[in-house]
Amino acid sequence: MRWPALAAGALAGVMLFAPAMTGAAGQKDDLPDGDGKTILLNSCTTCHDLTEVTKLRGFYTRAQWRDVIVTMKEYGAMVDEKQVETLADYLGQNLGKK
Amino acid sequence: MPTTSLQRLLTTGVLLALFAPAAVAQVRIVQTNSQGDTISLIDPATNHVVAEVKGVPINHGAAASPDGSRLYFSSEAEQTLHVVDGATLQLTKKIPLSGRPNNISISPDGRRVYVGIVSSPGAVDVIDTVSLERVKSIPTRGGIHNVYVTPDGKYLVAGSIAGKLMTVIDRTTEETVWTLFNEGVRPLAFETNADGSTKRIFVQLSDFHGFAIVDFAQRKETGRIELPNDIPADKVDKGPFNASPSHGIGVAPDGKTLWVTSRPNARVYTYSLPDLKLLPNPVDLGGRPDWVTFTPDSKLLYIATENTDSVVAIDVAARKEVTRIKVGRSPKRNITMVRR
Repeated sequence: MRWPALAAGALAGVMLFAPAMTGAAGQKDDLPDGDGKTILLNSCTTCHDLTEVTKLRGFYTRAQWRDVIVTMKEYGAMVDEKQVETLADYLGQNLGKK
Repeated sequence: MPTTSLQRLLTTGVLLALFAPAAVAQVRIVQTNSQGDTISLIDPATNHVVAEVKGVPINHGAAASPDGSRLYFSSEAEQTLHVVDGATLQLTKKIPLSGRPNNISISPDGRRVYVGIVSSPGAVDVIDTVSLERVKSIPTRGGIHNVYVTPDGKYLVAGSIAGKLMTVIDRTTEETVWTLFNEGVRPLAFETNADGSTKRIFVQLSDFHGFAIVDFAQRKETGRIELPNDIPADKVDKGPFNASPSHGIGVAPDGKTLWVTSRPNARVYTYSLPDLKLLPNPVDLGGRPDWVTFTPDSKLLYIATENTDSVVAIDVAARKEVTRIKVGRSPKRNITMVRR
């Protein structure tokens, strides 16, 4: 079985259908809509469940969330520089340390 | 001379002192729960959770001192190393780390804990267990996911997903000795020579459903083994698997078998050592497997299945499930602790 090909197929599938989804793999979530959420669903949950992100709710500052996104980009997450900042803003605002 | 009560009492006391340490050695499977703040301790004699460590949010790595007097856990949420008393299971100290941690390891003498720092640019934090301070951060090329001390205690082996590299570091000089791979490096398992030195490392890699074989003396990869695709297509779990379809591997303490987990197949496969022959009867796990750990006598194996919040206990010789044990949320890393 060719896993990169499978991952690419999954990515294409999610990019096509993400707007209709409520969350990763159909998971329900209480995250507000926004550009950051679109990036989260299109670029993060192709590799892991949404709970891998939401488990850190309330622990990280925006800078720490940005650090996580940079690590994930290094892992191969398909996010450009502008999306890194948009997603960091979104996670900082909605899942950030209060 | 007649034996007095006092003499009998003293004799009994001496005998107890001599034999008590062996009698009370206590084995525990220490199971982290990656989406919670508790760690579950399983007694392999009963296969029940008999205790919990509390207050380690989003715990990742675990290590135990050689005598079991202390436990160490990395917290991704707090970016700290938590030091826990092995008897009371109470937190004794939180040590700040240089970044976001992943897995950890301890030296055979218990003097150093090594913490993989996954934040860019990556490092291995070195914790002195006497002063309980971070005494150094060894720079690495790429964030570190797992860090191991080789069984002989001579080297650190650090795996990076971002850096696509396995780095071997001399523990004495704390300098890199050699590196290998151009792929994300995931869990490792070590096979030893008769003198305890490292013979081979079995390496799980990003997006590879199997493992690579590394000859330690030659410092090179000598082969790869892909896990069987022996599950009907409609039963194969499609993930997502964090780009890691195989993320759990271990050599039994007796050195006779290698155990490798498959997330899509929800199975563990066994290979004989040293010939790496696939043995029959893979064990179905009923969920996505993660880390593996053995009892010291090699009789039982414990495998975390993260999407079922359970640990599967397996009879190593029979290659059969013994039972499934409910633990906390999303169990991943596990270790075996022996308290003497």
